[in-house]
Amino acid sequence: MMKEGPVFRSHELIRALILLGFALYIARLSATGYLQYYVAPEMYPWLRLSVIPLVALSLNLAYRALFGTKNGMDCHCERPVAGSKLKHSAIYALFILPLLLGSLLPDKALGVTAASKKGMILGSPVLTREQLDGKFKAPDKYNVEFAELAKLLYVQEPIEVKPEIYSEIVGAIQLFKEEFKGKKIRLSGFVYRDEGMSPDHEFVLGRFLVQCCTADAYPFGVPIRLQTNHPAIRNDAWLEVEGNLITEIREGREVIAVAAERVTEIPRPDTPYIYLNSKEVEQWIQKARESSGGIGPGSAEKL
Amino acid sequence: MNEPFPLRILPILAPAAFILACLTVLLPLPAGSINLSYLYTFRTSFLGILLEALPFVLLGSLLSSLVHLYVSEQLLKKWIPKNPAAGILTACILGLLFPVCECGMIPLIRRLIQKGMPVYIATVFILSGPIINPVVFGATYMAFRMYPEMVYARMGLAFFVAASIGVMIYITWKSDPLKTAPVSKAHSHSHHAYHEHDHHDHDDPHDHHHNHACHHHDHHPHSNHHEKKWTSIFVHTADEFFDMGKYLLLGCMLTAGIQSFVAKESLESIGSGPVSAYVFMMGFAFLLSLCSTSDAFVAQTFLHSFSSGSLLAFLVFGPMLDFKNTLMLLSVFKTKFVIYLAFLICTVVFTGAVAADAFFLSQ
Repeated sequence: MMKEGPVFRSHELIRALILLGFALYIARLSATGYLQYYVAPEMYPWLRLSVIPLVALSLNLAYRALFGTKNGMDCHCERPVAGSKLKHSAIYALFILPLLLGSLLPDKALGVTAASKKGMILGSPVLTREQLDGKFKAPDKYNVEFAELAKLLYVQEPIEVKPEIYSEIVGAIQLFKEEFKGKKIRLSGFVYRDEGMSPDHEFVLGRFLVQCCTADAYPFGVPIRLQTNHPAIRNDAWLEVEGNLITEIREGREVIAVAAERVTEIPRPDTPYIYLNSKEVEQWIQKARESSGGIGPGSAEKL
Repeated sequence: MNEPFPLRILPILAPAAFILACLTVLLPLPAGSINLSYLYTFRTSFLGILLEALPFVLLGSLLSSLVHLYVSEQLLKKWIPKNPAAGILTACILGLLFPVCECGMIPLIRRLIQKGMPVYIATVFILSGPIINPVVFGATYMAFRMYPEMVYARMGLAFFVAASIGVMIYITWKSDPLKTAPVSKAHSHSHHAYHEHDHHDHDDPHDHHHNHACHHHDHHPHSNHHEKKWTSIFVHTADEFFDMGKYLLLGCMLTAGIQSFVAKESLESIGSGPVSAYVFMMGFAFLLSLCSTSDAFVAQTFLHSFSSGSLLAFLVFGPMLDFKNTLMLLSVFKTKFVIYLAFLICTVVFTGAVAADAFFLSQ
């Protein structure tokens, strides 16, 4: 039994260091705010909480590696020493890889490359086929919400597409696109181009909608038409675009687009992704209703 | 094998990790900046999926070690209904009590099987737990708020699939599915007295998994050391975490690779026919390995182009069988059992989704 002691301990030490590495990595992401490049805000408390068990496990392992005795508690059950060294090296390398990737390379949000692989959706991804066809099943709560939102947006000049409820605003405009034609709008996003697009005149101003983590990040955006001979805009640049709402036929359906009047390059916003948040929508409606005094155009009555 | 060479591993380990990292960083470089953006996309996807799953794997490991130390075989026997039908039904709604996603489920399940939970009940729990729970219900309802039939169809089909596979496993699978020497009665009798010796005889000829899992049912008696119990929790949690973690990491890496290197359109073109839509959506669910709490939203984006039945298949199939959890299942169960289970899941989900599409969803 004694002869296995040293092997046992070195494994524990490596594991302690790996766990500590994960704890520190999560703590650093959390402190620098880069956590939002990887997971949705709902996950933050879980991740922050997981630092505690990680550190506790790591300390326990380290203590046993350095001062552990060979009797008493050790029931051998946790000892993974069997197996070739190569196998162990491979397994630990697997654990170290994300730590190296995470700490050596700069944090970057998803961009054009991911968007092209995941497939850009034109318009808002929160609308369903039924809504797009204009065949509403029943006047349920969410349709009413979109109508309400549209009513409040209509009185704005220009319509400001707030990041907190980006997908809902785009969705509301898309639902009532006829009414919104010609309205001024201001929105921001990253530049994305499909293969078929003429690079000088059009691009898609995109965003990622994130539900849980980057695995379910979904790119969506609004086509932008450049009218003047605009200097070249590179892919992945962050822009704020102001212009007039128009509609275009793309992939066989009518989508909203913006005829740009003013295009300014902006730094990447602190929160590049968009999250689904029905609470934000309700809050926004509440606020907008209070400030506008509840005057709306006839758009919502069409329901 | 167990020579006293602690330092032998370290010199190999550090360079191996270093070289792997260097290769990852350097290899794409010569080909230009386009590939670098692929690397960053891969990195962001990989770390995102990993960070999202990490707390749940930790939680699962913790639960598993708590069950290991505090739930005795006798107690578990008392809890599980004797009647198989009642057992299956109970397992179906167990997810309401344990809202863990599939990553957290598997270490827990292994422990429960080792403690004597019948395989068919464990299988039902693995299949239904990630879907029939309040968190997933809420998330699916959010995503399909315009189409609530889908939410009920998802819950209903998951219940049906889990229960019917439970029945099939009950009838057809009698042997021990765990990737260990059989948890035989002889074993559990002998391990009190010959614990240590047994071990050393086993250690050398077997591979890591075998060995590792062997230990688990070898040492129930140490729950006697009450004063050391809290230390045991640490030991077992860390152990479980590393055991599951390597499969999780592999799964995350492959999933991130698929997401950042394979275009969705090229996959979509496969699934244009009425039957191939089902095949595509199920294959897509398998490859994406999304968490059951967020896959509903991704499914919803397909509403424009795919039939409701195939979306339902995506929603039910994904949490039951995907890349990440197949690797984790393989670490716990015998390959034969995993293949059998995968076959059952494929056929039952497909049949169920087609039936639901015909009778419930398209009215």
